[in-house]
Amino acid sequence: MTPSVLVVGEVGAGHLALATAESIGVARSLAGPDGVVGIVGGAGASSAAPEFGRYGVGRALRIDDPRIDGALPAAHAGYIAAAAKAVGSDLILLGGTTFGRDLSGRVAVAVKGAAVNGATELTWSEDALQVRRPVFGGRATETLRLRGRPSVVSLRPHAFPPSAGPPVACSVETAPAATVPPALLSPKRTGVEPTIQGAGPALADASIVVSGGRGVRSQENFRLVEELAASLGAGVGASRAVTDAGWRPASFQVGQTGRSVSPQLYIAVGISGAIQHLVGMMSSRVIVAINNDPSATIFRVADYGIVGDLFAILPPLTAEILRVRGA
Amino acid sequence: MEIVVCLKPVPDAETRLRPAADGTRLDPEGVKFVLAGYDESAVEQALLLKEANPGSKVHAISFGLPQRTEEVLRAAIALGCDTATSAEATPGNDADAIAVAEGLRAALAGIPHDLVLLGKQAGDDEEGLVPGALGELLGLPHFGFVVDLRWDATAQRLRFGRVTEGGQEAWESPVPCVIGLQQAWNDPRTAKLPAILKSRKAPIAKVKPPAPSPDRPRCELERFALPPPRTGARLIEYRTPEEAAEKLVRILKEEAKVFP
Repeated sequence: MTPSVLVVGEVGAGHLALATAESIGVARSLAGPDGVVGIVGGAGASSAAPEFGRYGVGRALRIDDPRIDGALPAAHAGYIAAAAKAVGSDLILLGGTTFGRDLSGRVAVAVKGAAVNGATELTWSEDALQVRRPVFGGRATETLRLRGRPSVVSLRPHAFPPSAGPPVACSVETAPAATVPPALLSPKRTGVEPTIQGAGPALADASIVVSGGRGVRSQENFRLVEELAASLGAGVGASRAVTDAGWRPASFQVGQTGRSVSPQLYIAVGISGAIQHLVGMMSSRVIVAINNDPSATIFRVADYGIVGDLFAILPPLTAEILRVRGA
Repeated sequence: MEIVVCLKPVPDAETRLRPAADGTRLDPEGVKFVLAGYDESAVEQALLLKEANPGSKVHAISFGLPQRTEEVLRAAIALGCDTATSAEATPGNDADAIAVAEGLRAALAGIPHDLVLLGKQAGDDEEGLVPGALGELLGLPHFGFVVDLRWDATAQRLRFGRVTEGGQEAWESPVPCVIGLQQAWNDPRTAKLPAILKSRKAPIAKVKPPAPSPDRPRCELERFALPPPRTGARLIEYRTPEEAAEKLVRILKEEAKVFP
């Protein structure tokens, strides 16, 4: 028997987020096209809910409660639990975002289910869910069996491709009523300081990331890294050496004290490969390193390497990429 | 302010990871379980808040196997925490995040708490499930990915940032609440030798959480495995930078299939 899966949607810029499209892809592969139901709440939910259809989901629940617009993620938990109960979900799937990762533990207690964050593989067999996930910064993997229904799982970002559909008409209903404890509505968001980022996609969303390190040598030279990124439509990252030196803002930092990324392709330019950086990018699917020191640690974790002067390599590399992409 | 900081004993960063003989879990033989990662930042932040708000107390609590929780709780005392409480796990019941949250709730039962502080995720499994699970168990709001945590005594509100994909959000919240901390104001301090020696004799309160019912939902570890060792990068041979560029683009396109 295939499971019934509830996908918890998330809204970014008025649309369903990429992370939600990834969750739908996983849900459809486990449950088939008819076993998936979407749910979405908060600001932008009205326009985002029908978009579940774009990714091949024919039924979506919209949380009609203005009190949770802009409230903390925890305020969604009661609605998700009520919907899972009404639908009879075996599995509640969330995206690997701060929203999804923050909510999953709370939802698990509310539905009395088991929970896992950061899944990279899910299988459903003999009416039980098996989940694999990297642990210890990618130095090991765990395989877990989740007992009890429903289980609650958030995915590792970009470990799965977004659902390819095919698009269907999506019928949107109002989500079942739930009580939101007053304690969850009293905290207030007083502002947002947008992430300072380079041109191109946000680091967390990018399927390709190009990062520069100490080897870039100056604030002006970092432009070479950004041009390479632009040629690929990639997000721009940096090692701590770069952000500490102030060549780029702290929001660029990939690593233990910065962001963890796991894109399809990660290109490390002039980065030696300190462990604090590696734990933030080691689970990328393909890693390319460009560095003039053949003994640099980064070459041990990379799949492909170019030993050479980045100032000589980057301009022709950017030009070749633009040529092949026909720009 | 009464601050409770929740600590998880995790393998020392230097640990050589090795699956146990049956392949289901990390081999604990010879592994030192310590206070590490974001939990260290949580202790630091708790102590900074105490120093900034005279009259405050910091209570350290930990759920796990007794000898492991003792280690991290003594480390917390040596750093300046006021009290220590250990909630004992039964072997095999210490790996599930919901069980951890339930164990911490049991430890919290007798301790006043305005702020319940945790690392945003543990240094071993890096899941970050416990702040939310504990928040739900206690009926309190919880926030993950928190930075720049401050207590506004006049307004009687916590003020802090929350780092999300879209930017850094600014929040204010009444207490009590549960916070998963991403970063303290500064790097964690190290304990001084006399304090370490004194912490060896510090009392540790012990709590026995009720045994979980055998049919309750949970995660069971089936396999713990090391990835195949990375063999190192395949280095691209070239005579000119142009040739290197051409070869790399071809590999990304045809072999790795990651070219956009």
